[in-house]
Amino acid sequence: MAAPAAYKDRQFLAVIGDEDSVTGLLLAGVGHVENGEQNFLVVDAQTETSKIEKAFDEFTERKDIGILLINQHVAEKIRYRIDAFTAAFPAVLEIPSKDHPYDPEKDTVLRRVKRLFGE
Amino acid sequence: MSGAGNREAVFATRQSLGIMKAKLKGAEVGHSLLKRKSEALTKRFREITRRIDEAKRKMGRVMQIAAFSLAEVAYATGGAGNMNYEITQAVRSARFRLRTRQENVSGVLLPAFESYTTEGLGDFAMTGLGRGGQQVQKAREVYEKAVETLVELASLQTAFVILDDVIKVVNRRVNAIEHVIIPRTANTISYINSELDELDREEFYRLKKVQGKKQEESAALELEEKNRKTAMPEVRDVTVPHNAEEDDEKDLIF
Amino acid sequence: MEGLFFNVDSGYIEGIVRGYRNSLLTSQNYNNLTQCETLDDLKLQLAPSYGDVLNNVPSPLKTSTIATLATSKLHSEFLYLRSVATGTLRTFMDYLQHGYMIDNVALLITGTLHELDTSKLISRCHPLGLFEGLSVLCVATNVDELYNTILVETPLKTYFKGLTNKDLDELNIEIIRNTLYKNYLEHFAEFCRTAEGIAGSPCQEIMEQILNFEADRRAINITLNSFGTELSKDERKKLYPAMGKLYPVGTYQLGNAESNEAAIAGASTVSEYADFFKQATMMGQQKSLEDLFYKKEMEIMKEVFTQQFTYAVVYAWLKLKEQEIRNITWIAECIAQNQKDRIGNYISIF
Repeated sequence: MAAPAAYKDRQFLAVIGDEDSVTGLLLAGVGHVENGEQNFLVVDAQTETSKIEKAFDEFTERKDIGILLINQHVAEKIRYRIDAFTAAFPAVLEIPSKDHPYDPEKDTVLRRVKRLFGE
Repeated sequence: MSGAGNREAVFATRQSLGIMKAKLKGAEVGHSLLKRKSEALTKRFREITRRIDEAKRKMGRVMQIAAFSLAEVAYATGGAGNMNYEITQAVRSARFRLRTRQENVSGVLLPAFESYTTEGLGDFAMTGLGRGGQQVQKAREVYEKAVETLVELASLQTAFVILDDVIKVVNRRVNAIEHVIIPRTANTISYINSELDELDREEFYRLKKVQGKKQEESAALELEEKNRKTAMPEVRDVTVPHNAEEDDEKDLIF
Repeated sequence: MEGLFFNVDSGYIEGIVRGYRNSLLTSQNYNNLTQCETLDDLKLQLAPSYGDVLNNVPSPLKTSTIATLATSKLHSEFLYLRSVATGTLRTFMDYLQHGYMIDNVALLITGTLHELDTSKLISRCHPLGLFEGLSVLCVATNVDELYNTILVETPLKTYFKGLTNKDLDELNIEIIRNTLYKNYLEHFAEFCRTAEGIAGSPCQEIMEQILNFEADRRAINITLNSFGTELSKDERKKLYPAMGKLYPVGTYQLGNAESNEAAIAGASTVSEYADFFKQATMMGQQKSLEDLFYKKEMEIMKEVFTQQFTYAVVYAWLKLKEQEIRNITWIAECIAQNQKDRIGNYISIF
């Protein structure tokens, strides 16, 4: 279980997603750049999976991030990483993107919900 | 003896029986308490999973509307795909931040995210100054609402993950008490009881035996006495007639 | 008299442009487009005018692809016109490109200051605003170097008047962009007043009308969008082009405005714009002020074609085509995101 110290400093959100999703979320004001470190990653068709993985690891290890938003189609690329990530913090949230509507079947958490209720 | 393999290594004494009985009682109370806790948590858990399901669907809609507001921006700024880039570059400091607070559900501390925005318009106040600024601000508001929904969902999800863990632990405890500790203690008690009974029976038998022995002894003594009594007159008659008077007198005393 | 020798140099181009104008989508076409269920249907409907660029795109089609390809088609048509243009018309078309260059340079300035992969940036630039010196900008490593390169290499040097190398680093990129645009508009107007072949012709009159409208639109937009930002009144005043129907009385009032109402009052010194605000408040959410401005702009552009012997048709065609691409992108976006109730928001004028 999480000790209070584990989450009281978590005040930022992080984003991994395609350009439109990231732009929108940044517009809402979630972006933060400090000491050259930014809390978002724009993924396009050329982005290598290893780069996504690296960003995912970095964001999940950072102690000031409470929620990690990731586009579902990007999450698909590193699904095994997300399935393996079971910690409560940061909360990894899969979000739809403009070109990829949300599919509950693929969501790691929702699959866990389904499994628990034996559906 | 029943459950010989599954009991605690104790000496079958009255004292340990007392301890075991107290332990059983404690286990039963603990079991019912934990069971209740687990039920409360599970109830909460089910509620959360239901809300997650709902919220995820809602998120799909909200994000769609938000994505569309970006299309409006693109239309107003004259399809400038560059705006995306400029926004990514203009980021300095997060305006939209999180605060975590705790909620106590049956002794489990569930963190919940709260969002707050700092004062001012943030890094993008000037974006679209010459063209499309109103749409940019509108999109910003729409996205802000969308992110609020996402934050809400994230709270639910974190609660889900933590509750899932806690419930597993609690259920494990409930099951351990129900299926291991209680039967074990009960077994130990019945073992002690049977052992004590055995001891009782042994004691009883021993007493019986002692008593029997005593009786036997006294019976033998009596018999001997009797024999002596019956044999005595003949002998007396034959051999010691002069003592007859004394014996008679003694008999009288009896 | 002034039309007498027009056709010697520019008749061919005018003919081509009028031909292009006839291939613009009509409201009938737009109606068909809005009926489409998928982007592939849309592609089919667009085949007459965009078939050559869209046909080879494999499914699934993306709205961004449609927009990019349509823009590239516009670009190639423009390049063709430019290659056959001579004399004043050629300079005129250079001026048209400068507007797009400003956006590109602004993009590169941000990119270079943040030390980004600049080859990626170039691919994001508007094709109409590409020029040879653009890639040189990426080489600059610090602000001074960047400033020097801009002054030496870009056609925009004259627009940097009043901006120092320090401003490049300290000022918000939006302020730089709008300063450049203001200077651009003023120079363009000056060009139209003095250039041989335009000065004194109906073309000057038309271009004046067009540029004045653009200047007023920017002034109003900048004012409305600046409320609540750190842009001070003095800085704001500097961004207003010194031209247009609002100048100088309206812009003075706009410059002092501190609220939407004051800004509207300032802009309403010109009765045309007063009507806009009335309409915008009446329509509420349906049509924004920007939409109304676009609509007005398109009407002006449409009227340009009623004039003969003028270079302004090139400008008008470019703007109409741009609006068409915007319309198509909008419709495609509505279809792709299943937001059919807003699909009618495009501006069709033919």
